[in-house]
Amino acid sequence: MAEPIILAIPKGRILVETLPLLAAVGVVPEAAFSDESSRALRFATNRPDIGLIRVRAFDVATFVAHGAAQLGIVGSDVLDEFDYSELYAPVDLNIGHCRLSVAEPAELAEGDDPREWSHVRVATKYPNLTARHFAARGVQAECVKLNGAMEIAPVLGLSSRIVDLVSSGSTLKANGLVEVEVITQVSARLIVNRAAFKTRAAEIVPLVEAFRRTVAAKTGVRAA
Amino acid sequence: MSITPGLLPVGLRDRLPPQAEAASRLLHRVIVAIGRHGYDRVAPPLAEFEEGLVGRLKSARAQDLLRFVDPVSQRTLALRPDITAQIGRIAATRMRHRARPLRLAYGGPVLKLRATQLRPERELIQTGAELIGSDTVAAAIELLGVAIEALETAGVTGITVDLTLPDLVETLAAGPLPLAPERIDAVRATLDAKDAGGLAALDAEAYLPFIAAAGPLDDAMTRLRRVPGADALSSRLDGIAAIAAAFRDRVTLTLDPTERHGFEYQSWLGFSLFGAGLSGEVGRGGSYTIVHADGGEEAAIGFSLYIDPLVDAGLGQEPRRRLFLPTGTDPAAAASLRGQGWTTIAALADGDDAAALGCTHRLVGGEPQPL
Repeated sequence: MAEPIILAIPKGRILVETLPLLAAVGVVPEAAFSDESSRALRFATNRPDIGLIRVRAFDVATFVAHGAAQLGIVGSDVLDEFDYSELYAPVDLNIGHCRLSVAEPAELAEGDDPREWSHVRVATKYPNLTARHFAARGVQAECVKLNGAMEIAPVLGLSSRIVDLVSSGSTLKANGLVEVEVITQVSARLIVNRAAFKTRAAEIVPLVEAFRRTVAAKTGVRAA
Repeated sequence: MSITPGLLPVGLRDRLPPQAEAASRLLHRVIVAIGRHGYDRVAPPLAEFEEGLVGRLKSARAQDLLRFVDPVSQRTLALRPDITAQIGRIAATRMRHRARPLRLAYGGPVLKLRATQLRPERELIQTGAELIGSDTVAAAIELLGVAIEALETAGVTGITVDLTLPDLVETLAAGPLPLAPERIDAVRATLDAKDAGGLAALDAEAYLPFIAAAGPLDDAMTRLRRVPGADALSSRLDGIAAIAAAFRDRVTLTLDPTERHGFEYQSWLGFSLFGAGLSGEVGRGGSYTIVHADGGEEAAIGFSLYIDPLVDAGLGQEPRRRLFLPTGTDPAAAASLRGQGWTTIAALADGDDAAALGCTHRLVGGEPQPL
């Protein structure tokens, strides 16, 4: 039998919304997958030809770009950060909505005009995306790469601003920050490795098609 | 700080036995297979004037080349990142007067400025063929046939050919699905990444069905012909159908109308080549235009293969029968054994150890005996 198709699923934010979507596509993971305390990283599904791995969101893109996993689900924030040439994102899954924004302390924002910036120091998980965004605006961004808890950076003087995901804005508010600029809107995407999409088209294209139909049915949009 | 002995710059490596030999064997086999179809080999130099190279590489900018100042001419030279541009130069200058179609083959090392995490090698062996003076369906079928045969000769199995329509966006934007000129590049990049969400954000949803049309050739073709606006592509699709008919029994065919990856300078047809067990693509090609110094244009079609992924997959290696010749072996007898296909390792001193030198056999009484 051919190697099973590996679908990479991110831990955290998107995972909860992903499970009903998978079920609608006809892929039901084994029980251990939803068990947060399980140490396993690789899981079987009701379909012998499909296996799952559960990894960090940033690693989903890396696994799929290298072809170690053929399919994955990941936020468009991660795709924009890596800009991998070997990834396709054929379906917008319409889940995991949020936005990537620049935020700064409320007192700084009061007297601040973003149009006058020439250099900014930013704490972020997204150094490439941030540098690219500011460069396109003619602003040089000095990025401090953090892996979490960005909100605390301005308070402690690590950087004056942060670039992070915002959904309700309550985390920003709790840390005395205000959103000053939206860089991009984010939603979860189905991603596919480019070579696998060609060489295993007979297996992968129907799966992509199933995701596309499921999303279209859910949102009431005509299937493309 | 001194450099540790043996450390090489990023993306460069030594090839050792048996890979070094596999690489030269594969290159030789591929070039010979291409040559049998009447493609004559040319060998352009490793470095050229930067100006000349950049002008012909429509896909590369000067800052993508490894450049240096030539101490002799004081001009900036660049190492070639791709041989096809040099073939275009030869066809447009020194071989311009030769009869068309002109069939040329090439093979040699290329050097890229940067390595990426996905493609960590900076030095690669590129080989291929260019057919200059025609880009018809007949030319495409000949060239793709040569490419497939070259891969088969190299030992690649399970070949998949992905056919693409590189000028799809230009063709549609100029006709049934108009786009503002400033938006064409963005739509093209989004389609290339099959980024359905991004396309919606660009207000170009009319192009969405082209992403969904990619897949196994027959299905994709049916779906594509049904997309509103696809009438403008019908001559291209007929061409693809003729190409598909020629190869459907030999390789797996897929059609991806929106692929743009590295086809920036291709015209009506592009193709990528994949093989079973090889990560990523092993070759690509398509139709393009050569621009002459006087502004004249000439149609051409070609393909390139990279030997390195084939070597990394273990292709081109042949087990050798290595025969240990004790001191005092008759040179004529040794020559005759080499003539029979043996690789001989001659002892230079009595203490030489056959096993340590990798021999499989030892010559005992004029007869090879297994060790």
